[in-house]
Amino acid sequence: MADFIQLSINGLALGSVYALAAIGFVIVYSATGVVNFASGQFVMLGTFAGVAMLINGGLPWPVGYVGALAAMALFGALFFLVVYLPLRSSPVVTIIIGTVAVGIALQNAAQLTFGSWPFRLQSPFEGMTIEIAGAVITVHAVAVVVGTGILIGLLWLLLHRTTIGIGMRAVAQDVKAARLMGLRVNGLLAFSWVLAALLAGIAGLMLGPMWFADVNMGDPIALKAFAATIIGGFGSLPGAIAGGLFVGLTEVLGASYLSSAYKDLIAFGAMIAFLLVRPQGIFGERIQDRG
Amino acid sequence: MLTCNDLTVAYGDIVALHGVNITVKAGETVALIGANGAGKTTLLQTISGLNKVKSGDIVFESSSLATIPSERRVRLGIAHAPEGRRIFPGLTVEENLSLATAPWRRWSQSIADDLGRVFDLFPRLKERRRQLGWSLSGGEQQMLAIGRALMARPRILLLDEPSLGLAPRLAEEVYERVKLIGEAGMTILVVEQNTVLALAVANRGYVLETGRVVLEGAAKDLKQNSRVREAYLGR
Repeated sequence: MADFIQLSINGLALGSVYALAAIGFVIVYSATGVVNFASGQFVMLGTFAGVAMLINGGLPWPVGYVGALAAMALFGALFFLVVYLPLRSSPVVTIIIGTVAVGIALQNAAQLTFGSWPFRLQSPFEGMTIEIAGAVITVHAVAVVVGTGILIGLLWLLLHRTTIGIGMRAVAQDVKAARLMGLRVNGLLAFSWVLAALLAGIAGLMLGPMWFADVNMGDPIALKAFAATIIGGFGSLPGAIAGGLFVGLTEVLGASYLSSAYKDLIAFGAMIAFLLVRPQGIFGERIQDRG
Repeated sequence: MLTCNDLTVAYGDIVALHGVNITVKAGETVALIGANGAGKTTLLQTISGLNKVKSGDIVFESSSLATIPSERRVRLGIAHAPEGRRIFPGLTVEENLSLATAPWRRWSQSIADDLGRVFDLFPRLKERRRQLGWSLSGGEQQMLAIGRALMARPRILLLDEPSLGLAPRLAEEVYERVKLIGEAGMTILVVEQNTVLALAVANRGYVLETGRVVLEGAAKDLKQNSRVREAYLGR
């Protein structure tokens, strides 16, 4: 039982990271229609922004985290300006291929800069543990789960209670009508990319202390986040959260109760099953026609 | 207030409007009638900045709109309730309404007053204020589209086929509201295939055929015109 509690919390923590990556993916997809194949590399970049600030820069963690996230926000804005904006009037597939290109470039740039030797990014709660019913749990894992919960709450408030958030939803539903209503469509689209990069950055900083910071970590994350969105429902935010948590839980529990060789089997098996039986996922997309 | 001078608009090689001249004066309701494909919607979309002008000019309150992007035209006072309503299906009625002016609203301009005015005009929207757009009936969606345009505190209201797809009784209800809005002093340019309804509320009208203005005049004269009677009123 103690084992199960410990593994579940660790699974939820990993699932939280997948959920954040998946949310970033969904925000960009619903606002722009672009499937961001670089989303895993966005998370990798977040981890390495942390490496640059905390290990290379030697900054204390509050400053380093803020610096890393500022760099990620800047990266999101740059991505919008350099990749999305010049390509926005070409077919959406062109932009998708653009994201693939950026993903490859990022991975190789990281390899050139940081080398292929993995780093160990320390948590602010390094070495701290708490005990629940005999299970020893790292404070970092708890902080990740709680932090993700708070972030999701803030995100909900942003999307439903602020002018910018309601505008983002409007642009996602009907760009032409949004323009007629006087919304600054380009500004809102840029904000979507910045938000996605920020969420990926937070996911990367959370993931650093759980895995090793390795320049090739982006691909498995992208695959897991992708599986999460398919299981939860493509384009659905609650789906991204549920799917992310599911993938994280099955990965950790599967590794321990089945075999670590088969840990990915459950998540990807579930994804294939969903594609066959319920392709709209758990939550589906209510608005079929994006106009 | 609004003048289109010799306006030509083309989609690629296909010319949709051939040198169209129309004028809307402050306070009047002008109807733009014509068959499907005559270029009515194209004209409204061009006034809102969604289509590129090939030649000619649109002048709004004595300044040219040529270089002004569509999202800024709303701020100048041109509000458009588009064809097919295009309300935001996943936003509530209240979100749909409050969104329209949000980007440039000042704290001093209370959104509640504007919402109240729209709800007075369309009480049904008030009942449904927390419902999502897609769950409204066609008539309610049209009322929401008009209400959303009014929230922008426009100087001119562009309405594109407000009767489209509505049962006759509902279409009449929508037009009663349009009439009230016009009587309150709003300048309105309405595009409509339902000529009877449009000419009943309009002061003046233009008849558009294959991208050209073929007839213009006071609404009461157009109603008597033999060509209009034959082609559009069916008698």
